[in-house]
Amino acid sequence: MIEKPFFVGYLPAPGPLRTFLLTVSILLIAGLGIAGFLMGAAQDDPGPGAFRFDYGRQTVTGVVELTPYPILHVTQGDDRIQPGDSFLMTAGGKSGVDSRAEPLNGQLAQVSGVVLERGDLYMLQLRSGRNGLQAAEGDAPVIAPEPQGRWKLAGEICDGKCLAGAMRPGRGLAHKACANLCLLGDVPPIFVSTQPVLGEEFLLVTGANGTRLPRAAYDYIAQFITAEGEITKRGDLLVWEIDVDTIEVTE
Amino acid sequence: MNVAEALVMVMQAWGIIGAVVAAVFLTIGIDRIDADARGAYIFRPLLIPGVLLIWPLVLWRWWQTETERAAWAERYRPVRASYGIAVVLMSLGIVAIVTLGLSVRQSWPADIAPLQLSEGARQ
Repeated sequence: MIEKPFFVGYLPAPGPLRTFLLTVSILLIAGLGIAGFLMGAAQDDPGPGAFRFDYGRQTVTGVVELTPYPILHVTQGDDRIQPGDSFLMTAGGKSGVDSRAEPLNGQLAQVSGVVLERGDLYMLQLRSGRNGLQAAEGDAPVIAPEPQGRWKLAGEICDGKCLAGAMRPGRGLAHKACANLCLLGDVPPIFVSTQPVLGEEFLLVTGANGTRLPRAAYDYIAQFITAEGEITKRGDLLVWEIDVDTIEVTE
Repeated sequence: MNVAEALVMVMQAWGIIGAVVAAVFLTIGIDRIDADARGAYIFRPLLIPGVLLIWPLVLWRWWQTETERAAWAERYRPVRASYGIAVVLMSLGIVAIVTLGLSVRQSWPADIAPLQLSEGARQ
């Protein structure tokens, strides 16, 4: 009768079991390492977006406009943010600044926060309360919208904050649930176009006639789609009023 | 109802049934099939999460033990015969899910250019 090797925890492992254990351990560790590498290598590049704490706190003044997502058209900038720029704003976490911006619509306001930057796109994560957004003295210039016609675009709807650098990856299916939560929290949605539109790769996306992005569009967030809608230039920011009925998922 | 809503509904139904099974089994059933559990109550809430998850197995084991359908030893033997197959199938399932996920992934439609359908009012 052949004796089967038997492992006892407080005794040295028997010879055949030792070989088996060593082989399985090496295969398991190497296999998991290789699997992790392959899955990581198969992912898309998350891009260069990031919080720019190295820029320091930015404090600028400008005109608040609700699209309905709040935009600031800068009238008095600093060394990084120039007068004439238009940018989106967000609060900490998965929250927008709508409730703070609404009373200041069309008025001059001072905003303060940290920059999130991804290529040409940047937004400001505001400090909390009045430290982040408060009315400023002076007359607010009128920012006239410039209609750019109806366009059919291809690309992806993302939440602006994560796309700009709050998360890596800040777009794609792996980020869909996070993007939806951000949008539910009033973070402005951004459309990433496959090719530049009027010189811009990123557009603020809203519903038709200046409404919020319809809930029906949330099912398509993080998927690659085509859709139609009117584009309006507000300051130096393009706003795309997406027609949800025209959304089609690409191959 | 979309796929996500269906998944949530299935999980809710599973959990509700599991809660009912846990309530009945931990107050009535366990006393009937396990003499050692009689008079002991503090440990029972600890079993609730497990019963919520595997309530079909709980019901099956309860029925087997209660009706004495299987031999005595079989009734108390853990269900380990299918563990090996389950491990292999779950391992293959993980590989299949990852492979399927990567293969049906959309590709970035870089070749679709923006198309202007009409001009703006002031253009």
